[in-house]
Amino acid sequence: MATLEITGLRKEFGGVVALGGVDLSIDSDKIIGIIGPNGSGKTTLFNVVTGVHKPTSGRVIWRGENITGGSAYRIARKGLVRTFQQAMSFPGLSVRENVRIACERGRSEGRAISAVGGSPEEVLHFVGLADEGNEIAGSMPFGNLRRLGIALALGINPELLLLDEPAAGLSHNEADDLMELVLRLPKLGIGACLIDHDMFLMSALCERLVVLNFGTKIAEGPPALVLNDAKVKEVYLGADL
Amino acid sequence: MQTIKRSGGGEHWGPSRAEVVAAVIIVGLLLGFPLLHPGYRFLSLAITTGFTAIALYGLAFQFGQAGIMSVGHAGLMGIGAYTAGILAVKCGIGFWPALPCSALAAALVAGLIGLPSLRVSGQHYIIITFCFCALLAIALTNGGGLTGGASGLDVGPIGPAFGLNFNKLLNAYYLVVAALLTCLLANHLLVNSPYGRTLRAIRENERLSRAIGINTNLHKIGALMVSGLFAGVAGILQAYYLRHISPGLYGPFPSLYLALMVMLGGSRLLYGPLTGAVIVSFLPELLQLNPIDSRIAYGVGLLLVILLLPGGVSAGLLGVYRWAMSKTQPSNPRGRRGHA
Repeated sequence: MATLEITGLRKEFGGVVALGGVDLSIDSDKIIGIIGPNGSGKTTLFNVVTGVHKPTSGRVIWRGENITGGSAYRIARKGLVRTFQQAMSFPGLSVRENVRIACERGRSEGRAISAVGGSPEEVLHFVGLADEGNEIAGSMPFGNLRRLGIALALGINPELLLLDEPAAGLSHNEADDLMELVLRLPKLGIGACLIDHDMFLMSALCERLVVLNFGTKIAEGPPALVLNDAKVKEVYLGADL
Repeated sequence: MQTIKRSGGGEHWGPSRAEVVAAVIIVGLLLGFPLLHPGYRFLSLAITTGFTAIALYGLAFQFGQAGIMSVGHAGLMGIGAYTAGILAVKCGIGFWPALPCSALAAALVAGLIGLPSLRVSGQHYIIITFCFCALLAIALTNGGGLTGGASGLDVGPIGPAFGLNFNKLLNAYYLVVAALLTCLLANHLLVNSPYGRTLRAIRENERLSRAIGINTNLHKIGALMVSGLFAGVAGILQAYYLRHISPGLYGPFPSLYLALMVMLGGSRLLYGPLTGAVIVSFLPELLQLNPIDSRIAYGVGLLLVILLLPGGVSAGLLGVYRWAMSKTQPSNPRGRRGHA
């Protein structure tokens, strides 16, 4: 059984079906990508899985435990941690204090410390913010805020990271640096599930791609196969070509 | 140790020398104040300032750390005061055993009023706290024999303890100072603990806090209850100092005063609330303003602080101090720390 098993996950907002019964299984030692046009339900999927929204129906099983509709903070404590599309930090606090808060969370739950290490300094070093510890988070440039967002998620010692458009709004170089960071995660026993629009980036990074359209999964498999899938070309790439 | 080297220096967790010096000065001023022969009037004023500051520390904790403002804080002092008053009048229970009861009662009520804060925030919650203390004043006025109605309750003197007679004003002053110092220390420890950091996380970004595993609802109520503890202690000290409590002391107007004092002094720095309490209590007296003029001066002062010093007078003073230090030691630009 995969670490995260999602079956028939459905979410309606009023009459709008944001997710129409999605099945997905994710292992915590791999990088997988979720792609799809705007409004296809990618972020909603993350929100429902991590307890931000309650699903209309369907089940989310994390390491054999049913966590469907659980509180966001409980799900995070179990090691299933997400980052946000908007670079999210505690803007008025120093970078070190930001990460320290997350690290203290990880420790208070008595989980084994991951290979990144348990101290704020180690986490900051890992994401490349070792020299920015004294900066006020809200005053940092966007690229560093994204790194800080990942540092916060790593601080609580996750088993699987759900990264919502980690490269959005970054320059090519910054995006490459960030992806290099993501590539190092599986070696530390941390799985990653990414949402992004950049097809080239995603196919280089992920060993499996999942394509969503109007809240349903229309394709899944290795990037080369998925990108040549007729249905995918039609609904997703068709708009571009 | 290696991890500390990596940080590039500038980081130390213990108190800095400036903090120690500031603490020694504050403690010295508080303990040494009677040596200035302040006279009955100013000593009484100092006692009032002391228990007001204790309540302010509670309010500053919930506002400065967790970001939850209240304009009903005098109501919580009222819960503490009336708990002590009812225990004294109806059950014959004196100051010392009533002290924890008052603190806990106010904390409990603070937690209960806090429940709506989980659903509403900002201005909406402020209105709820305002309604609470307005309703409390009405309830106390109509409480019949239990609360003594509009005329209130008479509370006896504080029984002697540690061989001290607290009927003497000087001893009463030292009692309040002891309580104030305890509360300063508690505030300092709380603010710099993982719990304090957790609350600041909630203040800064509630959604992200939940995403990294913080039970935001639990901690918001917790912060309000800690705040209530302080208010309860302030309330019982006030009750036993005045010897008489009545509903008017705990209505919306005194509550607004507390909220304004916190904003004036600054809520995020250790000495902010004390600064606010001292300014508001002593300045009108020293300038010999009549009550109406002092309220006007207070309003103007508050506007100026909000416009010019958003962090309060304490943050302004700290800014001046750091500016002066940077003039004398230009080689240490990375010296900033703290949690503001």
